[in-house]
Amino acid sequence: MKKLSNIDWNKVERFLGSLKFAVVIILCFATAMIIGTFLESYYGTDFANRTVYKTTAFMLIQFGMLMSIIFAAFLRLPPKKRLYGFYTIHAGLIIVGVGSMITYIAGVDGSITLAPNEPSRQVILNKDVLKITYPEEGKQVTSDLPYTAFTTKIGDEYQGINVMEYLPFAEGKFVWTPSINKYPPEAPIHSSKYFFKNPFAEEEILLTLHPESSGEFQSTMNMGPLTFNYMPEKLSDCFEKPSASGIIIWNSDNGECFVPEEKGFPVKETSAKNRFLVFPLKDKLLTFFPDFSPYPVDSSFQTDQKSIIRTFSKRIFEQKPNLFLFGKKLAFYSKEDKKWIVQNIELKGKSVALPWMGAEISLLEHQENMVPFHLPVATIPIQKNGAIIKGDIRALRLEIMGKEYWATNYSPLSLLIGGKKVIIEVTKENLTLPFEIALSNFKMDKDPGTNNPASYESFVKLFDDGKMTDHHVYMNNPMKHSGFTFYQASYSQDSGGNYNTTLAVNVDQGRPLKYLGSLMLVFGGIWHYNLNKKKKKKETVA
Amino acid sequence: MKALILIALVTFGFSAQGAETYFCKKDLETMPTQQGGRVKPLYVHASEAIKALTGKSSVGDLSAVEAFCLLSLNGMGLPSAVNLEAKIEHVDAMKFFNLPKDEHNIPYETLLTREDDVRNEARSSKGTESYKKAMSKLFDNIFLYKEIKAGNNWLFANIQGKELTWVPLTTYLTEEKVVAQKTLTPMDPFLPVLLKSKADYDSAFGTKYIVEYYYAKAGLASIALLVSLVALMCLVLFKNFKIALSFATLSIVIQISLITLRVIVSGRAPITNMYETVLFSGAGALLLGLLLGHFKQEKLFVYMGLAYNVCTLMMLNFANGMLTATISPLVPVLRDNFWLSTHVTTIILSYGALALSWILANTVLIKRKLGKMDRKEVAQHEEIIYTTLKWGTTMLAAGIILGGVWADYSWGRFWGWDPKETWSLIVLTLYTAILHGRYTSWIQQGRFSTVTAAAFMSVMMAWFGVNYILASGLHSYGFSEGGAVFLGCFFLVQISILIATKDYSIETKKEAEPA
Repeated sequence: MKKLSNIDWNKVERFLGSLKFAVVIILCFATAMIIGTFLESYYGTDFANRTVYKTTAFMLIQFGMLMSIIFAAFLRLPPKKRLYGFYTIHAGLIIVGVGSMITYIAGVDGSITLAPNEPSRQVILNKDVLKITYPEEGKQVTSDLPYTAFTTKIGDEYQGINVMEYLPFAEGKFVWTPSINKYPPEAPIHSSKYFFKNPFAEEEILLTLHPESSGEFQSTMNMGPLTFNYMPEKLSDCFEKPSASGIIIWNSDNGECFVPEEKGFPVKETSAKNRFLVFPLKDKLLTFFPDFSPYPVDSSFQTDQKSIIRTFSKRIFEQKPNLFLFGKKLAFYSKEDKKWIVQNIELKGKSVALPWMGAEISLLEHQENMVPFHLPVATIPIQKNGAIIKGDIRALRLEIMGKEYWATNYSPLSLLIGGKKVIIEVTKENLTLPFEIALSNFKMDKDPGTNNPASYESFVKLFDDGKMTDHHVYMNNPMKHSGFTFYQASYSQDSGGNYNTTLAVNVDQGRPLKYLGSLMLVFGGIWHYNLNKKKKKKETVA
Repeated sequence: MKALILIALVTFGFSAQGAETYFCKKDLETMPTQQGGRVKPLYVHASEAIKALTGKSSVGDLSAVEAFCLLSLNGMGLPSAVNLEAKIEHVDAMKFFNLPKDEHNIPYETLLTREDDVRNEARSSKGTESYKKAMSKLFDNIFLYKEIKAGNNWLFANIQGKELTWVPLTTYLTEEKVVAQKTLTPMDPFLPVLLKSKADYDSAFGTKYIVEYYYAKAGLASIALLVSLVALMCLVLFKNFKIALSFATLSIVIQISLITLRVIVSGRAPITNMYETVLFSGAGALLLGLLLGHFKQEKLFVYMGLAYNVCTLMMLNFANGMLTATISPLVPVLRDNFWLSTHVTTIILSYGALALSWILANTVLIKRKLGKMDRKEVAQHEEIIYTTLKWGTTMLAAGIILGGVWADYSWGRFWGWDPKETWSLIVLTLYTAILHGRYTSWIQQGRFSTVTAAAFMSVMMAWFGVNYILASGLHSYGFSEGGAVFLGCFFLVQISILIATKDYSIETKKEAEPA
C-alpha cells in the first residue's frame, strides 16, 4: 500500500494518456492479430483462440487500449469545442469496450442440434469439461478442463479417479494393449493389420474382433465398392467345405462351424421360395432365414441378436465385391470360376492378388488377444479447407487403481470402480434451456440445375409454459425467445437420410451498449475528421 | 435419330464448302440457356465454356458460340471439325504429357483417351499441391468437354403448359419437330425449331436475360480502361486538366453503366466477388477523387483517382486468372441485399479511399527521390494524403461496424475473430496508429508518405491476402487462384519502392544528409 502512494499518479496518467503509449499499444494489438490470423490459417480457429485471441495476454492488450482511450480523453478535459468529435470517438470506444466485457462475462455462445421431431433443450457451449457419470446412482459430476493449447498437468482426484493431464490437441498413435478382461482361449478375439493396394490407392487396414476395441476399429470396412469382412479364424474351414446350399452355421463364442450338409440339416423353402433351416439347440429349435439375417427368428419373426449360434449365407455375398479375412486366410467369390476361393496369406509374406482391378493384399501384423488402441499423443493441429485434419482428439490421461487410462472426446471410458459402473467423458459444457424446442421440418433449396444450396430453413416448434409456438428460422432471420436468439448455422444428414439442423444459440446482454458505442464512434469520426477541418478552414478564411 | 442426321446432311451437305457449320449461326447467341444455377444467353455460356476449356475466346475462325454449337452437334451424330485444345501450363503436367518445352497445347480428343490417367494423377498421393490442382482442373475440363460433345451441356427451355424444364439438345431436337418444320422451311428446318425455345421462353418469362448479352458484348471494361488511360495521359504528360477531366468524367459514366448492368443482370449489389470489388473500388475511388477535387479545388485528387482507376481496370482486363467476370449465384448467407450493399460497399469504398492515399504516397516517394519536389510541395501533398486517410479510416470503421451488426444479425455474434474481420481491424488499427502518430514526433514530415505507402500492404492483405493466402474462415467466398502470385509481386514491388526511396535529398540548402 505504501508503495502505491509513492507512485506519481499524474505521471502514470500522462503516460497512459500519451499518444506514444497509444501508438505502441495499437501496434501491439495489430501484431498479435496478425500472428493470430496466420496461426488460424495453419492450425485452425480453436488453436488460434487458445494461443492468441482468448488468452490473458491478449485481454491485457485490449485492456491497455481501453486505458489509453480513457486517459487520452481524460487528459484533454475540460471540454474544448474543437475536440467534441474526439470525445465522442473515445466515449464510443469505451462504451463498446464495456459492452464487450459484459458479453464476455455474462454472454452465452453455443449451438444446439435438432433431430426431426425430437424436443431438445441442451445447448453445447465451447468450454471443455470432464464429465463423470454413475449410471446406477443417476449421479453426474462435471469439472472444467483448462482452456489451453498445450498439454497441461491437472492432478485432481475424485473418488479414486486421478486426473493426471489434459491434451487439448492430440493425434492417435497406434499401439497394441493387453486385454483388461479374461477370455477363454478359444474365444475369437484376434485382430489383424493388412496392407491393401490397387492402382488408385494404397492403405493400411486394421480389422478386429476384440470386444474391448473402441469404435474406430471395426470388423467390417468399405473401400469404394469393396467390402472387407473380418471373421473368426476357424470359419475359413467352412468356406472351403463343399456345400450345395452355401450356408454355414457357426458359434460366435468359440468360432466352431459346420455346413448343414455335414450334419444332415435340410435346407427347406417356404411357399414364397425363401430358404430356411431349423437347428435344434438343447431344448429349443432355432429357425434361420440365412438369406435375410444371420440371427434366428422367433415365432413373431423378430430376430434374436444375442444368439451365439448364427448362420451365414455365402450366396448373398457373391454379387458385389466382398473380401473375407480370417487373420491368416482369406476368401472371395470368383465370378470367373463360379466358386469360392480360400487362400493363405502369410504374416509379413507375399501379397495375395485379388480379382478386382489389380488389387492385392498382404498381412502386416496379427494379434491373437491384444487390443488395438490409438494412444493420444499431444500435437499441434493442422487445418485444411476449414476442417481439422490432424490433432482433433481432446484427451485426458487418468490413473485409476494404479493403472493408466485415457478418455477422449471420441471414446469415453467406461469401467467398474469398486463394483460401481462409471462413465468418464471428455466433452463440451452443456447449458439447459428453460424451454424446449423441436425441429418439425427442414427445407433446403438448391440453385436451379445445380447441387449448390440456395437456402436452408428450419421450421421449429417451441414449447414454453405449456404453450407451443411455431417459428421459421433461416439465414438472416433468427428466432428470439426470452433473451435467447437462435440462428440457422448449419445442417447435417443422419444415417437415415433425415436432415438435422444446427442452430447457433446466443445471449448477449452487452448488445445495446456495443451498438450505442459503435454509433458514437462513427459519428465522432465524421465529426472529428471530416467536419472539424472544414469549419477551421472557413474560420481561417473568414 | 438417323433420319435427323440424313435431313441435316441433305440440307447442309451440298451447300457449303470447306468446314461445315450446319445451323450454328449468330442467331443462336441470344438464346436463353441455364447453366451454373442461372438463366443466361448462350453467348455468355458458350464464351465462358470455351474460355475455360481453351483459355481463348474463339476457336480458329469460329466464334465461341459456333464452336460450342458444332461440338454439341456431335451428340446428335453430326460430325464436326472443331478441334479444341487444352492449354497445359504446369511444368510437371507438361512432363506428364511429354510435351516439348515450347508446346503447351493438347487436343481434347487426345486427352479423352487419357482421362483415367489424369484423374489418377489428380488423386494420387504423390506430386505437389499445385500439380494436383492443375490436373484436377484439367480433369474437370475433360468432363466438361465430354458433356458438351455429348450434347448434354446445351440446355433448352422446354415449356409445357406452365411448367418450365431445361432439356439437353439431344432431347429437345426431336425428329418429329424437325420433320414438321421441314414442310414450312425446307431450306433449314433446324434453326427455327431451336429458336422456338427462345420464343416460348421469352413469351412466358420475358427477355430480361438478354441484358447480359449486351453487357457481355459491349466490353465496357476495356473501353473504360482506354478512356481512363487517355485521361491520365492528358493530365500527366500533356498537363491539360480540362481535357483530362472530361475524359475522366466519361470514364466514370462508362464504369457506372458497367456496374449498373451487372446489378440488373445479377439482381444484387455489385460487390460479391473479387472482380466486382476491384471494379467497385476503382470506380468509387475515381468518383471520390473527382468529388473531393471539385470541393477542395485540388487537381491532385483527380490524378490520384485516375491513377488508381487505371490500376484496377488493368487488373479487370488482364488478370483473368485471378478475377473472373462470371456472374454466379451467391452462397445463402450473403443473400441479403440490404446488408450486402451497406457493409461491403462501405468497406470497398474505404479501400478505394485508402488506395488514393497509397497512389499519392508512392508518387511523393518517387518524385522526392528523383529530386523533383521541394519541402513545401511534400508538405502540401502530405496534407492531401492525410485528407484521404481520414476519409478512408472513417469509412473503414463504419464498414467494420456495419459488418459486426450484420454478423450479429445473421450469425449471432458481433465479433468472432474470423480472418477477414481480424484483418480489416488490423488495417483500421494500423491507420489509426498512423493518424495518431502524425501528432507525435515519431512520424515526422517526410516519413508520413513512407508509412502510408507501406500501410496499404495491410489493405491488400485484408482484401486479397485473406482469400488467396490465408483462405480459411467464414468470409472466404471469393476464393480463386493465381492471387497469391499477384499479391507476392505487389508486396515485392512496394517494398522495393520503399527501400529504393529510403534515402533522398531535398532541394533545401540547409538539409544535411539524413542518417
